[in-house]
Amino acid sequence: MNLPQAVSGAIKAAGLTKQYGDVRAVDNLHLEIGSGEFFGLLGPNGSGKTTTIHMLATLIQPNTGSAEVAGFDIRKHAVRSREAIGIVFQESALDRTLTVAENLRFAGLLQNLPPRIIAERSDELLELFGLQERRNTPVAALSGGLRRALDIVRGVLHQPKVLFLDEPTIGLDLPNRRRIWRFIEKLRAHTSMTVLLTTHYLEEADGCDRVSFIRKGRLVETGAPRALVERLGNHIVEIEGANIEKLAARLEPRLGSFLCEGDVAMFRWTREDVSELLRLQTEFSSDAGSWKVRRPNLNDVFLWIAGGKALTS
Amino acid sequence: MKFLPFYGVLEREMVRMMRQRTRLVAAMVRPLIWLLVIGGGFNAVVGNAHGMKYQDFLVPGVLGMTLLFGAMLAALTTVYDKESGVMRMMIVAPLPHAWIVLAKMFSATLAAIVQAALLIVLLLLLGFFRGTDWWILAVAIPTASLMCAGIGMVTASFSRTLDNFAAAMNFVIFPVFFLSGALYPVQTLPTVLKEVARLNPYTYGVDFLKHAILPASTVHDFSVTLDVVVLIGFSLAALAVASWRFSQEQTYEPMIQVLAGKRG
Repeated sequence: MNLPQAVSGAIKAAGLTKQYGDVRAVDNLHLEIGSGEFFGLLGPNGSGKTTTIHMLATLIQPNTGSAEVAGFDIRKHAVRSREAIGIVFQESALDRTLTVAENLRFAGLLQNLPPRIIAERSDELLELFGLQERRNTPVAALSGGLRRALDIVRGVLHQPKVLFLDEPTIGLDLPNRRRIWRFIEKLRAHTSMTVLLTTHYLEEADGCDRVSFIRKGRLVETGAPRALVERLGNHIVEIEGANIEKLAARLEPRLGSFLCEGDVAMFRWTREDVSELLRLQTEFSSDAGSWKVRRPNLNDVFLWIAGGKALTS
Repeated sequence: MKFLPFYGVLEREMVRMMRQRTRLVAAMVRPLIWLLVIGGGFNAVVGNAHGMKYQDFLVPGVLGMTLLFGAMLAALTTVYDKESGVMRMMIVAPLPHAWIVLAKMFSATLAAIVQAALLIVLLLLLGFFRGTDWWILAVAIPTASLMCAGIGMVTASFSRTLDNFAAAMNFVIFPVFFLSGALYPVQTLPTVLKEVARLNPYTYGVDFLKHAILPASTVHDFSVTLDVVVLIGFSLAALAVASWRFSQEQTYEPMIQVLAGKRG
């Protein structure tokens, strides 16, 4: 695999742990993300993605463990590391009573940027994000998609080395999600920013250099999206029918572990040759309604991990 | 010390204040009603005391009222910032978090000073402020505003939602205002009220304004030195308490969780 090596190590986390009462939100997390890498942190709700990002962005303190972001220790040099990071939260961080341009001016001044620089970069970024003609519109009057776009502009105005995107497309419709992704791609083409992304929409993580799956605060799998999908197998066999659990249990010795979703059972098939599957289908034709063989994708990896199964049998 | 972020917070406060015209109009109408209607009414009842009309005695009090309301409302926007997400913009900035408290406190001070200046212009047109020592007033207004902003920041640091706002109005602004020397000289109050007023930092702010606006009269309760010491001392203490509340992990982390939406 030809991956960017963590030479200068944009993000290095060792043993990060965050405990909330009885809940261990993040559990002994080790992470190494290289400069310029586009990294996805994936996992179900409540798995610790946001807590991880907040610890790395110095907004909350880990109980134990340490991390460096852009070369700065997040505990000892929180303020310095905040200089080097940009963060886009799940929810907007804008003043709705101010206009687009006023928001960027406020955000820029907070980053200690001189007004002239703020004006230049705002122009450039608003142009890139298609917000230029809205620059004097109050944020309250912007659509959800444009507001999110502005939030991203706000997050990168100071040209951070590391950008945290926490569910950047959550709550947006498909055209707006695609638009946000075009912006992020443009941004990455313009800069050498390291991006740490969390998302629920796994097809959005396909473009990542590497992804990590997180479950109950622990990192379970890390790798290039394609490599993880390949590890799952060559094919996914979906079998639909009544009493599917019973049937799946009978198939398990032949096909290995499975996932059940409603009345569909999913098996992995690691070989390229599917002729044996056809024989199996004939053998079990009286029990199963329909058999479907398809290529696996990142969603399958997610489901397999969320279901607590190992990727390789 | 970074100057630009500080300036940014002040600028935002000014832009918002000028945009919310009704807030500004209310800030002018409220003291005018007190001075012209209530002051005028009591004039007829109490007549001259301490060698002056009650209405003239009330001028420092209503100016103090403008400072108190102006600074409190501006400081309480910190709570609005927490709820609306603007606080997210501030906490990710490369600044120590106690610094946010300082910047918000100064912008509340500035908001109060601007409103006081507007009121003074209106009252000058109405013929008040004769005999005012403008030099003392130029010191008294910022010092008293800072104290009011301090009360506001401490209140804001203890209230998590805007619902607490109404409570803050009732339980902080009104007692602070009524239990001070704004409406009556402290010297002549019954003992219990007198002692309460003496513990109220706002009393010293109003007293400082009395020194400036009514320098020739005998209605001052304390010396200028005591006023300055109490006002500055209280402001520093308020800044310390508010910063401590904001930096406290127990209060701060749930805030982050709320700000960032659900934990995930």
